[in-house]
Amino acid sequence: MNFLTLFVRNLRRGPYTEPFPFGPATPAPKRLRARIEFDAKTCEGCLLCEKLCPSGAIKFSRTPGGLAFDCFHSTCVFCGTCAFYCPSGAIRQTADWSLAHLEGETFSVAEHGLIQPIVCVECGGKGLDTAPAVTKVRPPLSDEELTALRARCPKCRNKFLRNRGKTP
Amino acid sequence: MTFVTRLKDVAARSPWLYRINAGSCNGCDVELATTALIPRYDVERLGCVYCGSPRHADIVLITGPLTRHVLAAAQRVFAEIPDPKVTVAVGVCPITGGIFRESYAICAPIDQYFPVDVNVPGCPPRPPAIIEGVAKAIAIWRQRL
Repeated sequence: MNFLTLFVRNLRRGPYTEPFPFGPATPAPKRLRARIEFDAKTCEGCLLCEKLCPSGAIKFSRTPGGLAFDCFHSTCVFCGTCAFYCPSGAIRQTADWSLAHLEGETFSVAEHGLIQPIVCVECGGKGLDTAPAVTKVRPPLSDEELTALRARCPKCRNKFLRNRGKTP
Repeated sequence: MTFVTRLKDVAARSPWLYRINAGSCNGCDVELATTALIPRYDVERLGCVYCGSPRHADIVLITGPLTRHVLAAAQRVFAEIPDPKVTVAVGVCPITGGIFRESYAICAPIDQYFPVDVNVPGCPPRPPAIIEGVAKAIAIWRQRL
């Protein structure tokens, strides 16, 4: 909402008080930078967000269950760098500001995600179920190709993309 | 028990707020001023009013990562606030250090030095988030009375 719209609305409506906390909160501005949201399905596993995060809120850790993502909201400074540089849009910044919590819940106020490990269908090696980094591949991949690519380890993914379009 | 609760209800007055700026960048302080001073987010609806003296305060709002320079002064001011008091850490700096984490010049997280009760993360938190935190602090304060 630009300045003029706000100005006209305030002139027409006059000063008012939001009902929160006695009533529902009025929706926050759409572009408000607040809580981080992570989608493990579309994450490419490039770990760029962890490197870029200025306050060190984002942590990736290799666990037996796969690659775990943690973003602690009590450290995040809402700068939006991770969401801006995320190549696949797996990290989003929502307008949800409601984060106040009691002491002792600090470490549970966090965003978690887990990227499952996979066994490569081609070589049988270890891999992660990350989204393939194929935004610059031309022509774009079909859904079947994407599923096939997803089921492979990084080396076999490269081989798959190299051999793509070549007639055997 | 009923007599005690009734006495508590009678005795419960409006909690007053006191702000300690422990090396804050003033972002959270501006939001705290907004929380109180503009009619859209009126913290006085909860009975809260900012007071100038720590001796009149019931709820203390701490902003900033607690720089080493301000530590002694903040502890002295905090000790002057009469019990029962409730501490609210406003912003990510007092909770974990936020952007200043692992700096030699700060003492964050502040729960090493102060008994924090409510955390309001955000950089800075929105005024409704601060009001939410203050509402939680009032609930704790009523139990402590």
